[in-house]
Amino acid sequence: MNTETAIEVRGLSKEYAIGSNVSYTLRGAISNAFRWNKKKESFWALDDLTFEIKQGEAVGIIGHNGAGKSTLLKILSRITYPTKGSAILKGRVTSLLEVGTGFHPELTGSENIYLNGSLLGMSKSEIRSKFDEIVEFSGIEKFIYTPVKHYSSGMYVRLAFSVAAYLNTDILLVDEVLAVGDTKFQKKCLGKMDEVAHAGKTVIFVSHKEGAIRNLTSKVILLDCGKIAKIGTPDEVYRLYNETTINPGFKRYSEDSILKSVNVNYSENLNIEVEYKFEKENQMPHLGYVVSNSTGEKLFAGNPSIDGIKLENHYPKEGKVKIIVEQPRLKFGTYNVAIYFGNGLKDFIADENCVSFKVEDVNTNLGFIVPKNKYEFS
Amino acid sequence: MEKTIISADNRSWFPDFKELYRYRQLVFSLAWRDIRVKYAQAYIGLLWAFINPIFNLAVLSFVFGKIAKVDTNGIPHVLFTITGLSAWVYFSTLVSEAGGSILSSQNMIKKIYFPKLAIPLSKALSGAVDLIITLICLLAIMLYYEAFPGENIIWLPVFILLSIISGLTGGILVSALTVRYRDFSFIIPMLIRVGMFLTPIAYSASSVPEKYKLLYYLNPMAGVVEGFRWSLLGSDAPDSLMIYSILIMVVLFFLSLVLFTKVEYKMADII
Repeated sequence: MNTETAIEVRGLSKEYAIGSNVSYTLRGAISNAFRWNKKKESFWALDDLTFEIKQGEAVGIIGHNGAGKSTLLKILSRITYPTKGSAILKGRVTSLLEVGTGFHPELTGSENIYLNGSLLGMSKSEIRSKFDEIVEFSGIEKFIYTPVKHYSSGMYVRLAFSVAAYLNTDILLVDEVLAVGDTKFQKKCLGKMDEVAHAGKTVIFVSHKEGAIRNLTSKVILLDCGKIAKIGTPDEVYRLYNETTINPGFKRYSEDSILKSVNVNYSENLNIEVEYKFEKENQMPHLGYVVSNSTGEKLFAGNPSIDGIKLENHYPKEGKVKIIVEQPRLKFGTYNVAIYFGNGLKDFIADENCVSFKVEDVNTNLGFIVPKNKYEFS
Repeated sequence: MEKTIISADNRSWFPDFKELYRYRQLVFSLAWRDIRVKYAQAYIGLLWAFINPIFNLAVLSFVFGKIAKVDTNGIPHVLFTITGLSAWVYFSTLVSEAGGSILSSQNMIKKIYFPKLAIPLSKALSGAVDLIITLICLLAIMLYYEAFPGENIIWLPVFILLSIISGLTGGILVSALTVRYRDFSFIIPMLIRVGMFLTPIAYSASSVPEKYKLLYYLNPMAGVVEGFRWSLLGSDAPDSLMIYSILIMVVLFFLSLVLFTKVEYKMADII
């Protein structure tokens, strides 16, 4: 197993300016120059990303829309540049954010192979030596001297992917480009990517398709609001991801579970409410929680024992428990709630990634929480 | 092994020519695409490339030769004009084509990394078709008038090179500026039209009043066009002020590369 690092990302951040101050006309530049209030509105598409990818690893990047997946891929492919931080990539890098970039409808298939190949950084001799293989893989030998404007969209995509497939590369960055083409060709493409990954090449693959990610990758990075929410095996990461996407703030357990449901909402207070049903009587419904942020740092926690509530057994056999966490003012982001439920002596359920909730407040960017500050002047 | 370092700081201020050399095939492919696409759909195809300069030539030599009757030192006016035109046409096409080239390639720029300088450079190559065509017209006209070049002809390549550099300078500068400020896509055609009259294409620079000469030669193309004519027809030798033309051109060329590199980092975000 080769353990050399292929991609090393340190504190990578990308800021985009938003709002009316962004102007690309002379008039805008002039009026901005005379504006006394130069405050720029911006948001961080990527916020302090740090991770490493070893040579030969196939890594998937997942996350909701706007989580920063495409921005990360664009920075690694050098299409756009980071505002802060750095990334080091060892080896020849090829990015496929789109198949057939630069294809021109008036040109023939063969001319487009040369154009697209050179855009991907191939030399003429390199393209020439692989030309026959590319054409064969695409399966459109008959039309290779026909302008691609006469191609069907399927033929177009097949030709475009084929050029990229025969690229000699060490690191392959792929966006969701396989969503096109017929199923048969999609399989062929996935097979080719699998081949690349098994040939010791490093692959980064962004996709919304769980199946494709699970098939191709051994490690997954989950992004959330520009930060790394989790890095782990596809199983680990998808467990968290699916829970946060399917049940934000709410989770229902199976029929035979002691815990029936968990409901979390956050407004001024953080309310955690569970429904339970014990099999035996005279047990205390002992509910504990831990709240952590999207990078996994535990922020605060609570349970009856910590808070000095005596263990008693006069509680009903089935019912609800609610913990009201008073005014934990949190900053913008997604938070994870872990739930521990038992009888006070023993936890029956320990659900690390139970539910999550979002906080939209954008008052601060520093630290983890927003304290309630009082000011005294004297 | 190749190593790519992406960093927020530590940006270079000058184009990476080694990388550009690795991408040389891209310059050729893009140029070929432009030539193919430009003439593929036209019914008479490549013939248009001849019609355009001939039409220009006819209008210019009618106005300046027959109506304004400018002094050409005995050189037939058509011949006089075509020499000036062949240097000018390449320059002006390059400025306007290369100038808009980054904007029109935005789909590529947003989807893939490559040295962006390859785009305006490819225009210098595809524009060479027009240069060659005007030179063919020039040759035909020279043969017709039996005007054979003297020993000055050895300087012609120098002036061709100078017109390539000035065209590239203009093109690179304009392409970088238009990405930032779209206003330049209106300003440039205007400047080219004005520039055509401020360049000694259909008249001789020697007829420019002495007190305006220095100002006149600030136009880099003024010297190039005069030099073109001198090396081909042995007319008046270019004014010594031409050295300013060349100096300004070289400085602008380096400036355009620096500006382009600076804008290149932000291209995908602001385009």
